[in-house]
Amino acid sequence: MDFDFSAVIDSWQYLAGGLGLTLLLSALTVILSLICGVAVALGRMYGPKWLSIPLVFYIDSMRAIPVLVVLVWIYFALPLLTGLNLPPFWAALVALTFHISAYVAEIVRAGIGSVRAGQTQAGLVLGMSEAQVMRKIVLPQALIRMLPSIGSIISITIKDTAIAAVIAVPELMKRTETVSGQSFRPMEAFTVAMVVYFLILFPVTRLIDLLYKNIGYRGRS
Amino acid sequence: MTAMAAELQNRKNADQTPVVEYRSIRKLYGEFVAIGSVSARVNKGEVVCLIGPSGSGKSTLLRTTNALEEIQGGDILIDGKPLPPKKADIRKVRQQMGMVFQNFELFPHKTVLENITVGPLTVLKVSEQEARKRAVALLEKVGLSDKADKYPANLSGGQQQRVAIARALAMQPDVMLFDEPTSALDPETIGEVLNVMKRLAEEGMTMIVVTHEMTFARRVADWVIVFDRGSIVEQGPPAQIFDNPQADRTRDFLSHLGWDG
Amino acid sequence: MNLDWSVVWQYSGALGQGVAITLGLTFCTMLIAIPGGIVLALMRLSSNRLVSGASACFVEFFRNIPLILLVYWTFYVMPVFTDLSLSPFATGLLALSLNVSAYNSETFRAGINSIRKGQTEAALALGMSQTEAMLKIVLPQAARRVLPVLASTWVSLFKDTSLVSVIAVGDLAHTALEIRAQTFRVLEMLTAMAVIYWLLGYPQAKLVDRIYKKWGVKE
Repeated sequence: MDFDFSAVIDSWQYLAGGLGLTLLLSALTVILSLICGVAVALGRMYGPKWLSIPLVFYIDSMRAIPVLVVLVWIYFALPLLTGLNLPPFWAALVALTFHISAYVAEIVRAGIGSVRAGQTQAGLVLGMSEAQVMRKIVLPQALIRMLPSIGSIISITIKDTAIAAVIAVPELMKRTETVSGQSFRPMEAFTVAMVVYFLILFPVTRLIDLLYKNIGYRGRS
Repeated sequence: MTAMAAELQNRKNADQTPVVEYRSIRKLYGEFVAIGSVSARVNKGEVVCLIGPSGSGKSTLLRTTNALEEIQGGDILIDGKPLPPKKADIRKVRQQMGMVFQNFELFPHKTVLENITVGPLTVLKVSEQEARKRAVALLEKVGLSDKADKYPANLSGGQQQRVAIARALAMQPDVMLFDEPTSALDPETIGEVLNVMKRLAEEGMTMIVVTHEMTFARRVADWVIVFDRGSIVEQGPPAQIFDNPQADRTRDFLSHLGWDG
Repeated sequence: MNLDWSVVWQYSGALGQGVAITLGLTFCTMLIAIPGGIVLALMRLSSNRLVSGASACFVEFFRNIPLILLVYWTFYVMPVFTDLSLSPFATGLLALSLNVSAYNSETFRAGINSIRKGQTEAALALGMSQTEAMLKIVLPQAARRVLPVLASTWVSLFKDTSLVSVIAVGDLAHTALEIRAQTFRVLEMLTAMAVIYWLLGYPQAKLVDRIYKKWGVKE
């Protein structure tokens, strides 16, 4: 058995470009999912019934349907239905955000639920409105308490962006496939990609844990 | 009617409109009657202590004052005006009442200073500079000037409760409500909180205090209300309640606590 | 746009087979990954640093790479290393098992660690033997923590099996995508695929909620 990494090494710029796209797609997905997830959670918890019922249905459906299925549906089927053609990158961003927002919503709901009622009352007795209490008191604490879960969300997102290779988004996974196919060195190519993903994912989760260790007390009343 | 006359004679500012007046308050949790039909008044500058066994309804009554608990019957008058039904108006009333909780409820994500400034900044919309100035002065008053930039988690229970008092005072309230402010404290830090409260009373703050600290009630209160099973058993000046209780249940309660005057 | 949903009925046999493979793959993976997780967790708790270190490396590595990449890697690398030519199903099963075993190991480890030492001591103080204490006191409490997490892992795994479609395991996703390519009934087939996954996954997700309500430990 012989290893030959030269093909992979020769394509390092090509692969690095893929990695850049992986990170860009991950960052955008995480940011959008956090915003949408908070909105969905608030709508579900405090919104009127006509809003909360479909939101719960949406959340539970995303727990039931694989992200791959959402991805190919939005990329291949949605244009047929709406005439709206999304380029692969944007389709992936929409699909991943749609899927991951549901998870964020569940995490936000648990986070808000875990902030003691006394904290809300302490805000109310200062004369704050309910919206002010949510914005200034409850949400910031909930977000700190959610840090470990947000860490998992970031990790899941980075891993899920690899699935975007299926719709030919030229991110790291897709470019690894290309290099593997052109060089006939699949083992080397995929092994390198695995190590690269690990080197990104492992520190990310560790850093979030470390951050939580340092500021977690600011979320505990 | 004689009791009423005596009350009028004995109490501070009894000729003025009471700051808080409870008229036949009724509070139910489902079928359970938390408060039967309770009437009481708090005059300007008075320290009124609510005492009685756990679960007797004294905390519940306190929490109806600023509408943290809804009532099912009766009226609460603040400066002679009934508690408004609208949420926005209740916020106005709450701004005039400081409240201190058993579990402090400091905001853990804010520093000590930010805990004190958040109310004036968000609700009263005072300037950053003004809020800061007030907070610094209040921290000095409660003896915690050196803790301004610490987070609540770094403070002892007694220190946290003193910050909570400063936070309430920052709104410059007319009345202070204390809901068992020392019940969650280690014995050695109870004194520092009671001292702050005592000083506040001496400055003429109107205070309603739910407490198990009988010594504090005896020394600082102007008026003591004894609760049992959702109703008032007896009320009067501390000398009467502690030295010459009129009701058997007051005597029972005090003797259970080992109170001997 | 003309839609022809009859294609779904026309291929219902193939889709049914895909469902069977998806469910079978989920089941077989769990069957391997539960003992796998237990072994890894016990290794992790071992006092031998080499053993616990090996387990930690294994778990952290397989938790921190994309599953789809692991599927490809297993597909290309297994034959080279082992001279075994595994079927796509076996390859998918292997990749999923490596991934889920790593997750399960963390679940079991957390379950065992969550039981306070005082519980064992209290049992011993009552005169129980070490084994009795483990069987009657520690394990039932640990099970309460482990079971709900295993149930959520099951649902995640059910969804993740769709990723082995990239190496042509005849699971539901692969089957539906193939029919799409043959018939050009893209919207119909992809929607049917989503609906079938939903019909299968939704009750599972709801069941997990009920298990959490019934068994979940509040902290």
